[in-house]
Amino acid sequence: MPRLMDIGLEKLRNIVLDMAELSQNTVSTSIDAFVQGRDLRDRIYSWSEELRMLQDEVSELAVELIARYQPVASDLRFIKSCMEVAYGFSRFGRYAHDISDVIGIFGDLSNCDRDVIQEAGAQAKDMIRLSIKAFTERDVELAGRLKKMDDVVDNIYLDFVKKSAQEREGNLKCVVSGTLILRYLERIADHATYVGETVPYIVSGERAARK
Amino acid sequence: MHELVPRARTSGRVILDGSDIYAKGVDPVTIRRRVGMVFQKPNPFPTMSVYDNVAAGLKLNGERNHEILDRAVQRSLELAFLWDEVKGDLDKSGASLSGGQQQRLCIARALAVEPEVILMDEPCSALDPIATAKIEELIASIKENYTVVIVTHNMQQAARVSDFTAFLYLGQLIEYGETTGLFENPVEELTERYLTGKFG
Repeated sequence: MPRLMDIGLEKLRNIVLDMAELSQNTVSTSIDAFVQGRDLRDRIYSWSEELRMLQDEVSELAVELIARYQPVASDLRFIKSCMEVAYGFSRFGRYAHDISDVIGIFGDLSNCDRDVIQEAGAQAKDMIRLSIKAFTERDVELAGRLKKMDDVVDNIYLDFVKKSAQEREGNLKCVVSGTLILRYLERIADHATYVGETVPYIVSGERAARK
Repeated sequence: MHELVPRARTSGRVILDGSDIYAKGVDPVTIRRRVGMVFQKPNPFPTMSVYDNVAAGLKLNGERNHEILDRAVQRSLELAFLWDEVKGDLDKSGASLSGGQQQRLCIARALAVEPEVILMDEPCSALDPIATAKIEELIASIKENYTVVIVTHNMQQAARVSDFTAFLYLGQLIEYGETTGLFENPVEELTERYLTGKFG
């Protein structure tokens, strides 16, 4: 017999999955737009706002479920994780918006080398996809792979910053815009890792050790 | 008294400070002095006053000094968060108090003989939420000096008042551990299913 709380848990799960799809699409669109030099700020901003509203919805529903049913054990862990994951998805939207803003701030960047951004962007997109899959399927092994992928994005970002700091004749516009974009991608990768970290917690209560 | 019930039996051991309380040669009167009991339904001695209810245990143990009795009654009623409500009515019948007050009177009665452990068997199941909150506050305040063992079917109450929780099911100890851990991340599948109501 289904429990009364199950209806609420299912609703919570559905909102989070909607957020997953929208946030994945938002980040992907913003990275592609940057690489192609297209200004899609308005569209990205509206999606980012939608994600923020959905995050509020998740928080409100989670608090209602806690107040009504006093969930414990795996139910409690799932609700807590949904709040964390929804925050992560909302951050994806915000960073996607920041990425799309770079074109607005710097204008034409077609002369800048975008290979490194494409590489980090592809890795970040892959991480989002995997984190969502791991969360949806409660796949602890898959979630465990995200940490190493995060290190790749971290290193791309750090290498770029270090290299830029040593360059004497680099194009300042390219250096600053590249640093910003890579920084946003690095944060996106961090949040994808956090989404992955909720999986072992939901499944067995195991908490990830944060750096 | 349980032994008078036909076919009544006990199994397992109850260890208090390293000794089995059911072992041969253990004086049951001493055990009862060390372990106080509060029952599901408030059961003050109906013919006794509030004062005599609290003093009953001490008098049974031979205490006749009025000053000592007065101090013990006041101290016990204060510990049970009842003193301010009954200090002007100590001669009234214990049975004249409200249900919540009667239960706190029973707790004061148990505390008067200064036990080491207090067993509470569903102490709030017959009480309204306000009376329940008072008992729970009382438990939190006395746990500094007494070991309180509370039996409850109200899982939220267990989560609120206890530091450690034991889950017993059909006479078996399924899981025991720190309350936060047991409620957030139980080890046993049976505990998980019971806590989340996924039975049947």
